[in-house]
Amino acid sequence: MAPTKIDITINDKKITVLEDSMLIKAVIGAGIALPTLCYHKDLTPNGTCRLCMCEIEIKGKRRLVTACNYPVRQEMTVWTNSERVQKHRKVLAQMYLGRWPNVPVIQDVARRCGVTDGSAFASDLTDPNPKACILCGHCVKACDEFIQERILDFAGRGILRHLTMPFGESDPHCIGCTSCAHVCPTGAIQIIDDTNHPVDPDLIRKHGMKVNAEMATLDKNQCCMREVGTANIVEVMDRYDLLPVHNYKFGQHPDTYKVDSQVLRKKYFTQNNPDGCWFGCSMSCAKAVDGFELKTGPYKGHRVTVDGPEYETVGACTNMGCFDPDFIVEFNFYCDTYGIDIISAGTGMAFVMECFEAGVITTADTGGLELKFGACAEVLECLHQMSRGEGFGVEVGQGVRFLKEKWIREGRGDARFIRDIGMEVKGLEYSEYVPKESLAQQAGYAMAVKGPQHDEAWLIFMDMVNNQIPSFEDKAEALYYFPLWRTWFGLHGLCKIVWNDVAPADNKKYAPQLAAKIPEHVDNYFKFYEGMTGEKLDEEKMLAQSARVHNLQRLMSVLFGFGTRAGDTPPYRSLGPVTEEEYLSRAERYDGQLQSVLGLDPAKMTLDEKRAALRAHRESQYQKVMDAAYARRGWSQDGIPTKARLRELGIDLPELLALAAD
Amino acid sequence: MTSPISMNQLETISAGVHAEQARYRGMLMVCNGTGCVAAKGFEIKKILNDRLAEHGLQDQWLVVGTGCNGFCAVGPIVVVQPEGIFYQKLREKDVETLVVEHLVGGKPVEKLMHRNPVTGAINPKMEDIPFFTKQQLVALRNKGLIDPENLDHYIARGGYTALRRVITENQPEDVIAEITRSGLRGRGGGGFPAGVKWASGRKAMEKRGCEIYVVCNADEGDPGAFMDRSIIESDPYAVIEGMTIGAFAVGASEGFIYIRKEYPLALVRLNRALDAARAAGLLGDRIFGTDFSFDIRIHRGAGAFVCGESSALMASMAGRAGEPRAKYVHNVEYGFRDKPTVLNNVETWANVPPILEKGAKWFAGMGTGDVKDNPWNGSSGTKVFSLVGKVRNTGLVEVPMGITLREIIEDVGGGVPDGRTFKAVQTGGPSGGCIPASHLDMPVDFDSLTGLGSMMGSGGMIVMDDRTCMVDVARYFVDFLVDESCGKCTPCREGLYALSRILRRICDGNGVEGDLDMLEAICDTVRETSLCQLGGSAPNPVLSTLKFFRDEYEAHIREKRCPAGVCKPLISYRILEPACTGCGACVKPCPTAAITGERKKTHVIDAQKCIRCGICFEVCKFHAVEVK
Repeated sequence: MAPTKIDITINDKKITVLEDSMLIKAVIGAGIALPTLCYHKDLTPNGTCRLCMCEIEIKGKRRLVTACNYPVRQEMTVWTNSERVQKHRKVLAQMYLGRWPNVPVIQDVARRCGVTDGSAFASDLTDPNPKACILCGHCVKACDEFIQERILDFAGRGILRHLTMPFGESDPHCIGCTSCAHVCPTGAIQIIDDTNHPVDPDLIRKHGMKVNAEMATLDKNQCCMREVGTANIVEVMDRYDLLPVHNYKFGQHPDTYKVDSQVLRKKYFTQNNPDGCWFGCSMSCAKAVDGFELKTGPYKGHRVTVDGPEYETVGACTNMGCFDPDFIVEFNFYCDTYGIDIISAGTGMAFVMECFEAGVITTADTGGLELKFGACAEVLECLHQMSRGEGFGVEVGQGVRFLKEKWIREGRGDARFIRDIGMEVKGLEYSEYVPKESLAQQAGYAMAVKGPQHDEAWLIFMDMVNNQIPSFEDKAEALYYFPLWRTWFGLHGLCKIVWNDVAPADNKKYAPQLAAKIPEHVDNYFKFYEGMTGEKLDEEKMLAQSARVHNLQRLMSVLFGFGTRAGDTPPYRSLGPVTEEEYLSRAERYDGQLQSVLGLDPAKMTLDEKRAALRAHRESQYQKVMDAAYARRGWSQDGIPTKARLRELGIDLPELLALAAD
Repeated sequence: MTSPISMNQLETISAGVHAEQARYRGMLMVCNGTGCVAAKGFEIKKILNDRLAEHGLQDQWLVVGTGCNGFCAVGPIVVVQPEGIFYQKLREKDVETLVVEHLVGGKPVEKLMHRNPVTGAINPKMEDIPFFTKQQLVALRNKGLIDPENLDHYIARGGYTALRRVITENQPEDVIAEITRSGLRGRGGGGFPAGVKWASGRKAMEKRGCEIYVVCNADEGDPGAFMDRSIIESDPYAVIEGMTIGAFAVGASEGFIYIRKEYPLALVRLNRALDAARAAGLLGDRIFGTDFSFDIRIHRGAGAFVCGESSALMASMAGRAGEPRAKYVHNVEYGFRDKPTVLNNVETWANVPPILEKGAKWFAGMGTGDVKDNPWNGSSGTKVFSLVGKVRNTGLVEVPMGITLREIIEDVGGGVPDGRTFKAVQTGGPSGGCIPASHLDMPVDFDSLTGLGSMMGSGGMIVMDDRTCMVDVARYFVDFLVDESCGKCTPCREGLYALSRILRRICDGNGVEGDLDMLEAICDTVRETSLCQLGGSAPNPVLSTLKFFRDEYEAHIREKRCPAGVCKPLISYRILEPACTGCGACVKPCPTAAITGERKKTHVIDAQKCIRCGICFEVCKFHAVEVK
């Protein structure tokens, strides 16, 4: 529902505003300045200095309201500088000047109110310090809203009100984000930079503050990272047919509502604070479940704290067909406790389950475990076996590539089917997104140096949800730029989440391909780099820094026998529908593509013909995107960095040249 | 009572209580309100029981500890029912006399009865005492008549029939309409029509499709005020039933009572009443076996005056510092936990059951104005006041709206004692105003008091005599508010402190020309620009005294004189030659030994040593000490 528009008159000027927007926005929008000492554009209004008071008239009734926190709800006439308003502003300004005569922001505001002398209000409490705290409350709000902490607050009633940390002691929970100092209008809060001596701490702070302000004001309308963390995309992925279900067969499930972020928020998450993983970060994407009682395994009956679940954890479970949130939290806990990667465990188990359902393996192989999709108890048992080094768990624990090769070697079922559905590349299991309809993501996964992990090239959102890289060239360019950009985070020990999980409110003003990069946030990182080292950074320099490492990594991969075209080739499940059931579940889409892209008439084709035609098309598309990406990266058609590229990057060491292509 | 009671059991329970009481010759209602308890009310009750047992009368007379009787000035009180014989100021040794002479001998004890302070005539019964005769009891309908911890007693007085009728016969909207038509306005101070508030709450709840809460404000913080405490102490079920009806009307299933921790007795009674109501199925799931569920939780306040302000109260309930927020968006839309919240004070809730029992018309028939079509158009019903200060009959009184101040102070209150004259009455708590003798014939209601620059507030009424300095009074209340301002907004924080400094300067004899203009300018800004009503009304004590007693301010500033003889730096004590008998009574009490003189000769005060404490003035029986 679009918000209602309301016409108001400010100083004889007609203005249209949105219902429930604060009056001060309309006043500022009308180009009128209001004196204020407690309003800050990125913080919820305080309404304490009372200086922004305006006189309004509604239905013939006049009254004074503070513009900063007065929500416009009906037509009205506003005077921002009436005689009545001026009279009170003068008295208020005198009160401020009387208490804090030498603080520049107060002198400035008082002057604007026509006051230069506050001696009538001078008292024993008059503080001559030009950097005195004026009780505006910005720091308290910033700590609460940016960082979700309450390290700073006011204590003392009435005239004794003062700023303090709990019990007047330095609080160990303070993460040193410096937001409070940044918003302080008087300099009352000083930051002592004695940590790692950045060259320009203010530059870092300025951009860190920008991130904090966006988190506080935009996140709740974008991703709700602060509320539910990365799990916010469970329902989004389901909506876009991208949530892995039954070993990536499907992208949606009617039971997703049972495990979506709202369920986690309402029934599970108990911790919602920044965990300090990145000094000063206020996104607090990490979530935790407290007091969770385990139902299985060595800690059965214990109440434990579980770090998570995040999106990939939920996706790993839906991939196994498990839609029980209690199971997800327990699976999460034991994977963490055993030191097992949740994604590998989930994707591996999903593969086992599909093989079990397809009859590739039976209970004779699994030691009696009925490992069908959705078999939560059996999954946990298998996980416990894995940790104990017992039974079928030992085999599953060695991963999809091991199982695939073993079962093909043992001549079980159809080898092609097993290869098609075994979701691994370079021996690493897939992360939890269905890439079938996103060429960019298929390549982003399969061409990643370490294997199909989204950390290097998570393009699915910009490709599928935001549709920012529609053309083939766009995708190839994305496969060049984003792996390097993401490598850059890793190089500097920086987290990527504050880059793109919340975007500036006006990011859409950029062209789609540029918007996908979120240029203003990239700039934040450049400024962090500059503030730390003193060296300016731009895109070209950044790409050069990364490319050296990325190419080195690729050559290492070549050395280990993975970094080739064959090693970048995914199982067909990641490109398209393997089984009949899978094709039929999205027949309309696939038939449509046969018709529109390949000019075929699906009505005249058998199901097998259609599947074959689609497969041939998709596999050839994938080969093409690899060609384009290799070319853009300066690699040979076999996916090996060329000698020329190494020379260009200045890493033409003899050992590397020996591995490089001509 | 341990099992839920059904709807048709109310009459049975009531009959049972009456039958039980009929087995006795009579009942001895011992006041166990906080005032009487402080004067050994619990001991009196215990001794009474002991003496009855000794005389073998325990089966003939039933001793009932009640809540506040109201006539606190003469406690401890025992009323012998059914005759209504009123015994006052009982000491422990008086109990034996009462039992032997009255209960055994059948002859009421005159020396323990109330006497007319002027004529000395004896008033044997409650209804003979003028303190009671002009009162009309609605919120206090059960005071002194029931054991406040006994649910059956409440039911026997007609309790819970209103809730039963509402749940079975009414739609929630009907209940709200009835309350609106009754003209019931919030007794907590603002005088906002309760029905209008409930309707807004219900509307917000329906619009947002979320929970709604009802809250009872029992954070009574005005100095000298004890209306809410006494209502809870004497009739807690009235508040609980009122809230339950309110919850049904607005659609709430959760309610909260925010009560000061300084009210231990009220808290104990409230908790017991809540437990009993729960056990009887009158709170909790499926009340009276219907689909309506509602329960009440207690939140104890820590004693900040500002927490009586509704948004500060809700912040405090939520675990945050008790600071108000701007109420451009009302609590009925976004209140506790950001959900619609309907808050009324104790007295308002206590008025609800009788209104639904007897009808809006009955309630609207009391008080001023015609509220039939518009609840703003008058003040219906009664109002409870705590009458304190320089008045004979201090205590708790409930009078119809529209009664004059003179009737309250002179008839109910018995006038100013000790031969002094009336000077002003302060209404509305610390941020109310002082009303002079010239306005004593004004009818008391929400709008008339506001018109005089004071307010109804929650019902505090402090009477002042001619020995009260109005500048000092203003300073006292402003200092109270300086301490109790939360400090969030600038005008209240800085402005009140500035007012306090100027007032102190004037009282100290250091006032200068221009101070009064300055006071008025600051008051104007504090009143108009403060964030909440604590600040908005804080200038009242200054503005009302400036309006009615400006000459006293001027005497302080220009003549360096305190006409009432209160402000110490401006006064001196002197012993008058002809009047002093040389009795020496003033010599010993003087804390600085400033008074000397031979016996039977005029004494002298050494002005250097005198600290102007006024003790000599108080002890002199010959009016020989003069203060100027």
